[in-house]
Amino acid sequence: MSTSKKIGFAITGLLMLAGLVAWGIQVKEGLVLTNMRNSYTWGLYVAGLAFFVGNAAGGLVLSSMIYLFGVTSLKPFAKIGALCAFANVTAAMLAILPDIGQPIRLYNLVLHPQWRSPLVWDIIVLNLYAALSLLYLYLLMLPDFQGPLKKIALKVDHPKEFSEKWAKRLAPYSLAAAVGIHVITAWIFATQGARDWWNSAVLAPDFVAAALASGTAIVLLVCLLTYGLKDEYTQAYRTMAIFIAVALFTHIFFMYNDFFIHYWYGATEALDVLSITFKKYALAHAFEVVAPLAGVILLLSSNVRKSAGAMMTSCFLIIAGIFVHRFLLMPGAFDRVPLTIAPLGMQNTEFSVPIASGQYEPLMNTFVTEWHYFPSGIEIAIFLGVLAYVGFLIILAIDRLPIVKIEKAQT
Amino acid sequence: MRRGMVIDLEKCIGCRSCVVACKQHNAQPAGNWWNRVVTPGSERHLTPPEKGKEYFLPIHCQHCNNAPCEKVCPVNATYTEEDGTVLVDFERCIGCRYCMAACPYGVRQFNWEDPKKATARYGYQDGYTYGHPQEFRLKGRLVYMPSRFKGVVEKCNFCVHYADKGLDPACVRGCPGNARHVGDLDDPDSRVSKMIRDKNGFTLLPEKGTKPNVYYLPPKRKEV
Amino acid sequence: MQLKRRSFLKMGLAAGAATALDMKFLRYVGDAAAARTSEGETITRSTCSPNCTGACGFNVHVSDGRISTLIQSADYPETGYNPRGCLRGLSMMNLVYGKDRVKYPLIRTGERGSGKFKKATWEEALDYTAQKLKGIMEKYGPEAVALTVQVPGTGYVHKGALVRLAGLAHWSIHHGYDQNGDLPMFWPMTFGVQTEELESLEWPNARYTMVFGSNIIQTRLPDAHNLIKAKNNGKLVVFDPDYCSTAAKADEWVPLKPDSDAAMGLGMAKVIIDRRLYDEKFLQDFTDFPILVRKDNGKRLPAKDVKALANETAGWKIPPYRSLFVIRTPKGLAILNPERLDATEAILEGEFEVELTDGSRVEVRTVFSELKEMLAEYSLEKVAALTDVPAGQIERIAVEAATNTPLHAVYGASNYQWYNGDLKGRAISLLPVLTGSIGKSGGGISTYAGQYRIRFNLKEWWSAPGGKLNWVPYLYFLQGKGKRYPQKGIKAMIGGWGNPFDQHNMANRLKDRTASGDIEFVVTFDFSMTTSCQWSDVVFPATSWYENYELTATILHPYVQLQQPAIKPMFESRTAFWVARQLAKRLNPEFEKYYYPDLDENEASQEIIEVLLKTGGFETKGITLDMLKKGPVRLHSTAPDDRQIPFWEQVQNRVPFPPRSYPAPLKATARFLRSGRIEFYKDEDLFLETGEQLPVQKETFSETEYKVDPGARKKYTLRFVTKNSLYRVHSTHSNNVWLNELQGNKPKVFLNKNDAAERNIKTGDFVEIYNNRGKTRAYAVIDPGCRRGTTIFEQGWWARYLKNESYNSLTMPWIKPLHEIYFVPGIWSPTTVWNECLVDVRRVTA
Ligand SMILES: Nc1nc2c(c(=O)[nH]1)N[C@H]1C(S)=C(S)[C@@H](COP(=O)(O)OP(=O)(O)OC[C@H]3O[C@@H](n4cnc5c(=O)[nH]c(N)nc54)[C@H](O)[C@@H]3O)O[C@H]1N2
Ligand SMILES: Nc1nc2c(c(=O)[nH]1)N[C@H]1C(S)=C(S)[C@@H](COP(=O)(O)OP(=O)(O)OC[C@H]3O[C@@H](n4cnc5c(=O)[nH]c(N)nc54)[C@H](O)[C@@H]3O)O[C@H]1N2
Ligand code: SF4
Ligand code: SF4
Ligand code: SF4
Ligand code: SF4
Ligand code: SF4
Ligand SMILES: [Mo]
Repeated sequence: MSTSKKIGFAITGLLMLAGLVAWGIQVKEGLVLTNMRNSYTWGLYVAGLAFFVGNAAGGLVLSSMIYLFGVTSLKPFAKIGALCAFANVTAAMLAILPDIGQPIRLYNLVLHPQWRSPLVWDIIVLNLYAALSLLYLYLLMLPDFQGPLKKIALKVDHPKEFSEKWAKRLAPYSLAAAVGIHVITAWIFATQGARDWWNSAVLAPDFVAAALASGTAIVLLVCLLTYGLKDEYTQAYRTMAIFIAVALFTHIFFMYNDFFIHYWYGATEALDVLSITFKKYALAHAFEVVAPLAGVILLLSSNVRKSAGAMMTSCFLIIAGIFVHRFLLMPGAFDRVPLTIAPLGMQNTEFSVPIASGQYEPLMNTFVTEWHYFPSGIEIAIFLGVLAYVGFLIILAIDRLPIVKIEKAQT
Repeated sequence: MRRGMVIDLEKCIGCRSCVVACKQHNAQPAGNWWNRVVTPGSERHLTPPEKGKEYFLPIHCQHCNNAPCEKVCPVNATYTEEDGTVLVDFERCIGCRYCMAACPYGVRQFNWEDPKKATARYGYQDGYTYGHPQEFRLKGRLVYMPSRFKGVVEKCNFCVHYADKGLDPACVRGCPGNARHVGDLDDPDSRVSKMIRDKNGFTLLPEKGTKPNVYYLPPKRKEV
Repeated sequence: MQLKRRSFLKMGLAAGAATALDMKFLRYVGDAAAARTSEGETITRSTCSPNCTGACGFNVHVSDGRISTLIQSADYPETGYNPRGCLRGLSMMNLVYGKDRVKYPLIRTGERGSGKFKKATWEEALDYTAQKLKGIMEKYGPEAVALTVQVPGTGYVHKGALVRLAGLAHWSIHHGYDQNGDLPMFWPMTFGVQTEELESLEWPNARYTMVFGSNIIQTRLPDAHNLIKAKNNGKLVVFDPDYCSTAAKADEWVPLKPDSDAAMGLGMAKVIIDRRLYDEKFLQDFTDFPILVRKDNGKRLPAKDVKALANETAGWKIPPYRSLFVIRTPKGLAILNPERLDATEAILEGEFEVELTDGSRVEVRTVFSELKEMLAEYSLEKVAALTDVPAGQIERIAVEAATNTPLHAVYGASNYQWYNGDLKGRAISLLPVLTGSIGKSGGGISTYAGQYRIRFNLKEWWSAPGGKLNWVPYLYFLQGKGKRYPQKGIKAMIGGWGNPFDQHNMANRLKDRTASGDIEFVVTFDFSMTTSCQWSDVVFPATSWYENYELTATILHPYVQLQQPAIKPMFESRTAFWVARQLAKRLNPEFEKYYYPDLDENEASQEIIEVLLKTGGFETKGITLDMLKKGPVRLHSTAPDDRQIPFWEQVQNRVPFPPRSYPAPLKATARFLRSGRIEFYKDEDLFLETGEQLPVQKETFSETEYKVDPGARKKYTLRFVTKNSLYRVHSTHSNNVWLNELQGNKPKVFLNKNDAAERNIKTGDFVEIYNNRGKTRAYAVIDPGCRRGTTIFEQGWWARYLKNESYNSLTMPWIKPLHEIYFVPGIWSPTTVWNECLVDVRRVTA
């Protein structure tokens, strides 16, 4: 094992452990250790769900593109794609787990699922997607299983053809599943009539667009890390860059389209919500737009594509931008109490009705109209743990499984 | 039978007795309040938003007919009883707080920590706790318990545990303004139906389409 | 779902419904009548009775020996009283089980005020107290020990036990009514009584209701719905400088200048008189308006001085507290009978000459003519300028009120807690009197301050043979001088049911005097560790109204009720009766026999209740302890259905004013109304000297703040109005965790927008309120309803919430000399005027 891998294992391992410990403490003490409260019920964990779900997209979309649209240049990356998809979709589920107040009762999801709940659909598609990406990965690896791994290989006559055939057959489903997890995850939010920030038809397509950008950026990042810059991949990298760019532009278009329509109509609720993003979170918003834009613009330049480091930085900018975008799902929804009324005879005033925060402090207001949320140490630790899990899994898989072909060939 | 409530804002004197009755009878832990009364337009209760303009508004679960909290609940822990009462099964709830995000009225409360621990912050002597002391199951589902689990959601339950005994909710019995009434909204001759009809009853956030079973009668009304 | 609890109970009995509260299991817990539910809870009916005097019936649900829930018992026979109770009563468990509960007898070990105590046994604490008291009594005389018991009306047994002891030991005693500033001096002056009021069930019978500075929605909360009914049956107008929540509910809010109510009353009276909208018959028969007044000396003309009547006076047998005055009827001069209010046909107006016995002639005129002349000063324009209310509005309201009778005027405490509060009350009383609304269902004038009015005769229990009380107005104690102040001063304070170290004037000076040893010994009896307890030498842990037997009454409703123990006394708390008995026997073994030595405290309490009911007089006739155990019982009154309608007997049966104010004998108060009628004209020398023979408007602060410090006009430009909070009963519930949560856990001071801007203060800023007497601190709230030049502080915070600086370091025990010309404890006595106080406010860092 290379030292870089060792360092990778050590760091991600330690972070995972820290996250696990943090979760343990949180399970014991309760979600009081987070900075969420009654008026701000979702935070980093749910943002993490949306983020990882988004990242999961890239993988299978990429892989399916190879087989559906014949973008063969991407073929060497198909396995990495599937792996990233699997790692991220499972991370998404891990990210949401600590958000559950009574994790032991999760069995109720199986015993008493409520079919009208988008969360139930989401859990189903996420699991399906996880299974599908694992299956895809397996299929793609099938021809390359060697040594002890042979044991888990399906006994078929022509593994290569088998793999190709089934990869092709599964491709449309993968694409549908990838789009599906986004649409349904988006529906968790978009169906909320209570939250004007989310309650928009464009949220689902926008989720898909943003996901394609960040998901592909992740795959690109992992490819760069594993394969580095090689002439043979120039075309593939270029394709990915263009793909990311289109996805990102679409995402930004969707986002501003939505803003514009709300701004133009000028309903107070909508303006309030916009002002949270544009005033209170102005810097974060600037970052969510500028960073990925800068990232794709850089990626689109062939000069930049000559440096692995520059490309990785660009990917990182895109991913970070989308992460901030996901995080910004929350303030717009929770910074403002949804129940507002115009006081009698003061029709032009909007008044937010305070909510009991759920926290009693002898010198603090219990009833609040605003709750300034920033994740607590525990939340950050847990989130980093999940992030580390993604890294750990990818390194582990690459280390143990026949994922990176060339290296195999070289050894 | 559709159990509904009518709150007469002309009669409501903003005293918050209903808030305290609810807190007490339903054993709400420190920091949680199922019911609240506000002075619309003003950050401070009882401080008018403007000279000469003031009324009071009590808010708790609106027991929506089209309850988003119920529809989003992945495990059916939040559900609607036959009479329209929206309840939380404390044994079922997984604590995802999806329902809290979904409720437009901000009435749902979460047990961020062990309620006993939270309530200990009040500093009572000898571990005192308040509230109706017996748990209550409706058709087997645990819809009231004197001390909730950590990590579950709670909210106004229309005092099912009292309804079962033929008693009005604590907030209704505790309202010195005679401003609160419960009754059958399906029965056009019930007192509540009449009030809504004759006194222009309205609901909160009608634009959200939640179709509440809690109605308000307008303030600043003069009956002659 | 519409089942009412009571009918449900009945149904449950009939049908034996399994889930119902089964009254068959009615059983006694201890002694209290308690019902047991099928779930093993017991339900005891007791009465919430802090100093708000709401006296609301509560059902106490107890399981495992602890209060689980409290809910209004809602068992008053008239639905108009149900469900009496409020947020404070509903959260009383926070005080019963709260962290500030006094658990054991405490004896001070540290410096005074340090809050350092040792836990003592009852024996130790009682022995120590008795020994200290004996020492002080020997050294300075028994009157150097002074007792305060607040709001006796809400606890006749236990408060009485201490009064009985004070009597036996010949201590001094302060009357809470004047100490609190609750005594509205216009009452004895005008109507010869301590206070009177309509029961709230009568409010809806008024066609017109005028509220002058009484925040009923908050301070008479359980009765507020009857005010809303009154509004719907007629019209409700609220006169208040502040847009208080009662103003918010009114049909009309009149934001008058603070302390200008006298001008307002006079202005409206003038309109009513000018337009002849008054009830002439009523004025002739029930008021002093037809009485003749000498123009030369301003005195009322005694019949014995009038030549034509002097001989006739010999035939009149009248009590010494009455005088024979002269009226003119169409038949000529006549003696006004002070003992019957028969129709006199008296001529209301006129000015003429009368020949006196010495042959001289004097010019005389009727009181009504005097009044009219005085009112000439109060033209609408002038009143508008004085009150800051448009003339047209004043005129319209006056006409509306006079043409929609009965008129009910409510005159609130904050309004009369000004130096010239008596003048305001006298002026406002003109309105119900002129319109003939007195003594009628729904009509009259009422004050609802902390209610001290004793509702029946208590003598049997409150005084013991050989007892004697030395009544000393509390303000004299504060000033350390005064007519009745003991020569060697007051050296020991014994108090219960009160928290003077926060709630009373010169709270800071009181601390200084205690710290310096000028006050040598302080004993407090309370269930909460108040600021006063912190400053005491001995603290006795008291029972709450859910731990003892007590007989309570109030004025908002005419029901007598019981407090009954629902739980065992917490920790080592005991009743005041028991403490009094223990102290009595230690002070003098002879005293023990007056305290039912053979009975335990609960048996004795019940015994005393029976005695009180038996000997209470007409009001308690036929009422027994057993009846009370079943629920509230209405006291008797002279009005139909035992309604509480002031002066019903006077007006309907033409009995002279005043009715008796317990416990004072009639002769003590009747002398205030020598004519036996409602008197607006006062001719005692000091009234004449001060120009207050009739109500007038006087400039605020000119005899107080501006007089002692002319510089105050510029230096302190904000009036400091301290009013009552929804969330507290004065300082009771100051530490109630829920109620503090509901108000953001912070004390607040309310400011007008412009006043705040001038001082660069924003909502949420931490500010200091100060004058040259003291200071306190709170968080600023810009209140659009708050009037310019006024700052409002919701009083009742324990010092610990205010960085240990009480708002009552700012106020001042001003004494109006007119209040000293007679002395009847709690009835005609120097009374506190909280709002006569100037301050300024500045921003400080927390
Ligand atoms: N919640 C609660 N209720 C209580 C009490 C309590 O502490 N808390 N205390 C009880 C006791 S002991 C008392 S004495 C009563 C007192 O009860 P209230 O008589 O209602 O007295 P406040 O609430 O002090 O003030 C009433 C109003 O008088 C107004 N006011 C002040 N100055 C003037 C003036 O010059 N003119 C006019 N027109 N209005 C003026 C104030 O703005 C205020 O709105 O409340 C009793 N009830
Ligand atoms: N600046 C300013 N000061 C004011 C006023 C104002 O308007 N402005 N208002 C004044 C008025 S109107 C009043 S009435 C006074 C009231 O002042 P206080 O009479 O001192 O009233 P509280 O502060 O309520 O204190 C009552 C105490 O009695 C205790 N207590 C209650 N029930 C029982 C019982 O059953 N047994 C025993 N042993 N103790 C009991 C409570 O715990 C509490 O500590 O304040 C006056 N002070
Ligand atoms: S108890 Fe009744 S009057 Fe008081 S705030 Fe609640 S609804 Fe209004
Ligand atoms: S008010 Fe909120 S919690 Fe209650 S039923 Fe409606 S959506 Fe659900
Ligand atoms: S928190 Fe509980 S009640 Fe709410 S949606 Fe989740 S499981 Fe349902
Ligand atoms: S019905 Fe019961 S639970 Fe709901 S607000 Fe009233 S008291 Fe609270
Ligand atoms: S605090 Fe006063 S008004 Fe409230 S319940 Fe008790 S007695 Fe009644
Ligand atoms: Mo008072």
